[in-house]
Amino acid sequence: MAPELALGGLQRWLQAVIEAPGSVKAALRSREAARLVRPERTRDVVRPSHRGLRAADRLGIYQGMYLPRMMEALESDYEALAHFLGPNAWTRLVRSYLTAHPSRSYTLNELGRRLPEFVRRARVPHAPFCHDLARLERAVAEVFDAPETSALAEKDLTSLRPRDLERLRLVPAAALRLLKLDHDAGAWLDSLRGDEHDHPPVRRRRTRVVVYRRRYGVKRREQGEAAFALLEDLVAGAPIGRALARALARRGAARLAGPEAAFRLFREWAAMGLFQGPASTPGLTRRRPRS
Amino acid sequence: MNRFGLPDLGTGIGLRTVHFGEILAGKPALDWFEVLSENFMDTGGRPLFVLDQVVERFPVALHGVSLSVGSTDPLDRGYLQKLKALAKRTRARWVSDHLCWTGVLGRNTHDLLPLPYDKATLRHVARRVRQVQDALERPLVLENPSSYLEYERSTMTEWEFLSELCDATGCGLLLDVNNVYVSSYNHGYDPRQYVDGIPADRVVQVHLAGHTNEGTHILDTHSGRAIPQVWKLYERLVARTGPVSTLYEWDADIPPLATVVREAAKARRYRTSARATGTHGA
Repeated sequence: MAPELALGGLQRWLQAVIEAPGSVKAALRSREAARLVRPERTRDVVRPSHRGLRAADRLGIYQGMYLPRMMEALESDYEALAHFLGPNAWTRLVRSYLTAHPSRSYTLNELGRRLPEFVRRARVPHAPFCHDLARLERAVAEVFDAPETSALAEKDLTSLRPRDLERLRLVPAAALRLLKLDHDAGAWLDSLRGDEHDHPPVRRRRTRVVVYRRRYGVKRREQGEAAFALLEDLVAGAPIGRALARALARRGAARLAGPEAAFRLFREWAAMGLFQGPASTPGLTRRRPRS
Repeated sequence: MNRFGLPDLGTGIGLRTVHFGEILAGKPALDWFEVLSENFMDTGGRPLFVLDQVVERFPVALHGVSLSVGSTDPLDRGYLQKLKALAKRTRARWVSDHLCWTGVLGRNTHDLLPLPYDKATLRHVARRVRQVQDALERPLVLENPSSYLEYERSTMTEWEFLSELCDATGCGLLLDVNNVYVSSYNHGYDPRQYVDGIPADRVVQVHLAGHTNEGTHILDTHSGRAIPQVWKLYERLVARTGPVSTLYEWDADIPPLATVVREAAKARRYRTSARATGTHGA
């Protein structure tokens, strides 16, 4: 069928042609497109141009812009991954990703949301490293756009009675992500900044990374095992007293050295703005927290 | 003056990330900014912080690319709610998008895809424009898209379609003069006929931009300077509309702010001339 196609069918057909990989000829023959309009009837739907373009050529203009547009959007969030893979592997990855996860949002910012998980199972060189790199880049993008929240100050904690402090559950800043990585993806990300692009070799190294934001700038900082474990507990909503007790009771590298070390960490995290302050955490304004 | 009583904001440019620093640090010689709605709907970071500063210093209008008013998919109510909230936050003078569709089956190609221009499509789009206007509680302003293909089933010209859509819905027009030129080149009609054919009192805003001529067709790339033929069309338009809010779009290989501002400033000459001769309204 062709000319009598209703508007919905016409739109499904054009979208099928645009999204199909390969040449426009192949796109017109793709299963969904050909089901709606037989390839030989294309000219019954789309007029040839007065400048000599055939119907298929005109469709090809739209089809040809689809992949570059999506690649550009993904590259803005995954610059390091694209650079690591190189143009050929990156293009192959994007093509297969778009087939599995076409954009379903009004914003292209959402397009790459599932790329980290996708790349883990994709046929790319060093897939586990690519997975870590993509997770890190996604975290940076999310933190960049997260809502601004007021930050907890050291005095917000020191003004509380010890018993109240123990019971207090801290609320993480919206612009905070904690990542457990098996590779030093951060070093690779950093190596993109220089002009020389002197990239470190891919090697396994357990890293615990905090991605956060200060004055609208996204920052990263590595944490030791003990600090990271405590931070995870706090972010998960554990009361400070219980999280601290667990941190002191852990074994090995994850064990916190002592209460003094905890105090230093709290000061450091307050300065980094990892937790929300009284303006967005009503419990902090009370002398007696809710039980 | 347009029939909506919406103000002539003067000459502006699109708010782009690469210019954030220059805009905040200086006093660009501009009257207003156009803000891409989708870039600010879901961010609470620096973009929104900058937008809040800009809104304090300049009037803004919102311009969207994902309303997909011509799609046969249901309208995205969540999107409309966020759009309305952003319009309130920015005290947007108006909200615009394109006469197009961007996707179906829940997907988004993020392209401004052309519609067939016939009565059935007109009824479909008119119904959705009314729904959008009800949701936003204000007239929608629709832009004519650039297009690279035409459908055999079309029975109307684009300007006839837009005129009837305005009558049916009470919506406003954002006339992109570069798009008129691009589509006229691609489809073989006289762009002057288009400019003369649209209802002048519906035109709330004008877009100007550069494009890329590939010989067999022109791509609306928003790159570089507008060509003289586009300025001539703009002159012809403002002779009908009178001075109207005018915006210069530059989205590819974006130069420093001063260069874009200089290009936008060229519109002032035509605006002043239209004001002086008072020929508009013809």
